[in-house]
Amino acid sequence: MSNFKENNMGGDSLHGKCHDKKFAVINPTRMCQPMGAVQAMMGLKNAMPLIHGSQGCATYMRFQLIRHYREPIEVASTSLSEKTVIYGGELNLLKALKNISEKQNPEIIGVMSTCLTETIGDDVNGMIKKFKDVNIGKNLPAMVSIPTPSYAGSHVEGYDKAVLSLIKHFARKMIPNNKINIILGNLSPSNLAEIKNIMKDLNVEPILLTDASENLDAPLTEETLELHKFGTSLEELRDTANSNATISVTKHNDSGAKYLEKVFGVKSISGSMPIGIKNTDAFIKSISDAMNVSIPKKIIRDRGRLSDVLVDAHAYNYRRKVAIFGDVDMVIAMARFTHEMGMIVEVLCVGTESPRFKKDLNELIDDMNHKPIVLENKDLHDFGMVLESNPVDLIIGNAYGAQIANRFNIPLFRVGFPIFDRIGAQRISFIGYNGGIKFVDAITNTIIDFYYDEEGYKFADKKLSFDTQSFETHI
Amino acid sequence: MPFKLFDIDKEIPERKKHIYVKDEHNCEIDCNKSTIPGCMTERGCALAGGRGVITGAVKDAIGLVHSPVGCQYYTTGVKRYPSQPQLPNGEIFPIDNFNLKYSFGTDLKEANIVFGGMKKLKEAIIEANKECPFASAIYVNSTCTTGLIGDDVDAICKEMTEKIDKDVVAFNTPGFSGVSQSKGHHITNDAVFDRLVGTKEPPNTTQYDICLIGEYNIDGDLWVIEKYLTEMGLNILSRFSGDASHDELCWMQRSKLNLVRCQRSATYIADLIEEKYGIPYKKVDFFSCEYCSDNLRMLGRHFSLEEESEAVIEKYYGKVKEELEWYKEQLTGKKVYIFSGGPKSWHLSIPLEKELGLDIIAVASQFEHSDGYDKMKARVKEGTTILDDPNSLELEEMILESKPDLILAGIKEKYLSYKYGVPAIQIHSYENGPYIGYEGFLNLAKDIYNNINAPVWKLMEFKTE
Repeated sequence: MSNFKENNMGGDSLHGKCHDKKFAVINPTRMCQPMGAVQAMMGLKNAMPLIHGSQGCATYMRFQLIRHYREPIEVASTSLSEKTVIYGGELNLLKALKNISEKQNPEIIGVMSTCLTETIGDDVNGMIKKFKDVNIGKNLPAMVSIPTPSYAGSHVEGYDKAVLSLIKHFARKMIPNNKINIILGNLSPSNLAEIKNIMKDLNVEPILLTDASENLDAPLTEETLELHKFGTSLEELRDTANSNATISVTKHNDSGAKYLEKVFGVKSISGSMPIGIKNTDAFIKSISDAMNVSIPKKIIRDRGRLSDVLVDAHAYNYRRKVAIFGDVDMVIAMARFTHEMGMIVEVLCVGTESPRFKKDLNELIDDMNHKPIVLENKDLHDFGMVLESNPVDLIIGNAYGAQIANRFNIPLFRVGFPIFDRIGAQRISFIGYNGGIKFVDAITNTIIDFYYDEEGYKFADKKLSFDTQSFETHI
Repeated sequence: MPFKLFDIDKEIPERKKHIYVKDEHNCEIDCNKSTIPGCMTERGCALAGGRGVITGAVKDAIGLVHSPVGCQYYTTGVKRYPSQPQLPNGEIFPIDNFNLKYSFGTDLKEANIVFGGMKKLKEAIIEANKECPFASAIYVNSTCTTGLIGDDVDAICKEMTEKIDKDVVAFNTPGFSGVSQSKGHHITNDAVFDRLVGTKEPPNTTQYDICLIGEYNIDGDLWVIEKYLTEMGLNILSRFSGDASHDELCWMQRSKLNLVRCQRSATYIADLIEEKYGIPYKKVDFFSCEYCSDNLRMLGRHFSLEEESEAVIEKYYGKVKEELEWYKEQLTGKKVYIFSGGPKSWHLSIPLEKELGLDIIAVASQFEHSDGYDKMKARVKEGTTILDDPNSLELEEMILESKPDLILAGIKEKYLSYKYGVPAIQIHSYENGPYIGYEGFLNLAKDIYNNINAPVWKLMEFKTE
């Protein structure tokens, strides 16, 4: 109740009953499908995302992306208005395709639908075909329809659908390329760069789906910026059918991998996000198996360094209670990592519901020998309410967690999307052994900053949650 | 030729009528028209204009977006309009910055689209009220989907108002209505007037009561003006809608004079109040020292508080005068673009030239109407480029063509500008505001000076010698 006592009033609020809240969402933890698709489009070379809907969709998504990455980001809109809603959005979509083709001339245009155009029933594929028919003989961009009705699923499915649509559109069987496809989900450029480093160390050439590592952490140069010059190319998308295997590091983004397996016989492996020791071990092993490569000493040394920092940091971290919210695959992998750090995973909150999350969760519970409180398909208000009665020492999540952390006077360690209240969202690392090292350093220092004095001793007046808990609770 | 077609626009010649280089002919600029699809506009939607600009600033009302989850998510905490917990009846609202911290939504799913979302909306209103019984009202925004499937949000809100004994107000702001955010402003003005104004009486009134309309307290702007006005003896009866409580909107009819600050988004309601209640309004401008002094003097004369207004001017102008003169010396001759959402392009053009020595070479607005462009034209010198609904490609071309020293724009344009090595300041939500009034203008001058003189601009090239 602390929030509602902020100003010594509101004692009669019914917050304690929030768990029977079914209809209203208060401060959501998930975004809509088109956003996920736009995030995937950010990792393509020479591509332009086009949202078929009202201007607000493109503008609001740009706004969120820009304030997170602090980079210029373009998302086009078909700018539908009343009239076009009555007669259908065809004219606007054709005009938009024409304008983008003529002005920016990308190689790929990804057309995302929205709740608006799905509800009026616009046939985007048919419209694209019409556009091609009237422009026969012209050198047109490849145009990919990505169906993303905002009233179904979440941004996680949106990313998945974008990758699936791109693969479906482009993948062609040619000669085997001895590469590996990696489907990533919305990861920070630093995390993506770490995946690429691991591949280099393993001497494996990857096709990343998609690779925003350069596009969203660009240097200050005076190049023209309207199209991304880096990222996954059209040729690479085509070549995905010829790889040895596809690894989906977020299990919820494996539709494209399954498609490649079914149609082209490219093996699909869905794994946990390589966060922490065990998950990274599994990731490296699955690549080494799929590509038949040995694991070099460098990787083993990196692993050793991560173990080393886990030991070094343990005195500060052990039995620290943590609450994590965000996207399903990140949350579950992060939970395992914080468990490896010696923390107690107290509360997990995700905005969606999925059997795969449940399965991963059960495995994690078995390994931890401790059952966290898990909020599925819940919002940040529910999350905050649970923390009222289940105090933690630290929250891990995006910037929207800041007000909850402030309310309980505990630190928020920022990961995920969006992070608009700190600098460097594109450089937050936790993937792989090296990302893990940076993560442990940063999160431990956050704890030291907050709970320890300048001599490095624990503040006597800052009680940790476990000081007041009985030892048996978690064993 | 006074109208200009950018190279990048050669395939869309209709853009030409939107871009005017001021000459002696005073040509009419094409504005408030549908954006050309796919031309990389910076404009938003009616929901952004309604909830994003106006109702989202009200401190004690629940903002409930009737939509799939996205529209709710993206309108949460995106604008910097802080609020204080004091309510007009002396009570303290239990949550600081409730309007920034909490958003509510119906999270519509496929089945709701097929079978309608009205039942879910009702339940969500009841639940939101249960979660926050201390909230003074519930503002419901309809969106693209709920506008389209024909949910009767007005009827539900009416029914719920009786049921929960609290104002539940419908704002019909589907994103596709109108050509820009501007339509959302208009819809919201009308709804507040029709539904709220005149429904309550203020606890007490004085002969110095005013309403501050169209001031949303961006980064504390409203508090600066409020301080000046209060010190000269005026009483702010209502704010529309920065740091406003719901009740204030309901007794706007008791004001003695309405002041319209943002004249694009809020003149509608001032007109309506004048028409129905006979309360006059004045368009005011508090950006910069000169405009601020002029307007405080005007109010002094209107309320026979001349001495008091002079005292306020002396007190606050005196504090910044010398420092501003120093900044003017440093900044004289720097070339500037002003790309504002609405009227800041014409609020700031003369002050930046006259009081800070800057050279305005282009002004633009995302959603101004012709009356706004008339002011914009009147307040720039010949040769200045005036753009309606500029898109990012045009902005790029302009930067390359006449590399300015500074761009005042929004966050969406800021990083583009940076990449070209051009300093940029956020003029929608500010960098280190407030920017209004005397001290605000000094803040703006500081941000401009320091941005232009950031050491990094000289370090961009790798020099081998």
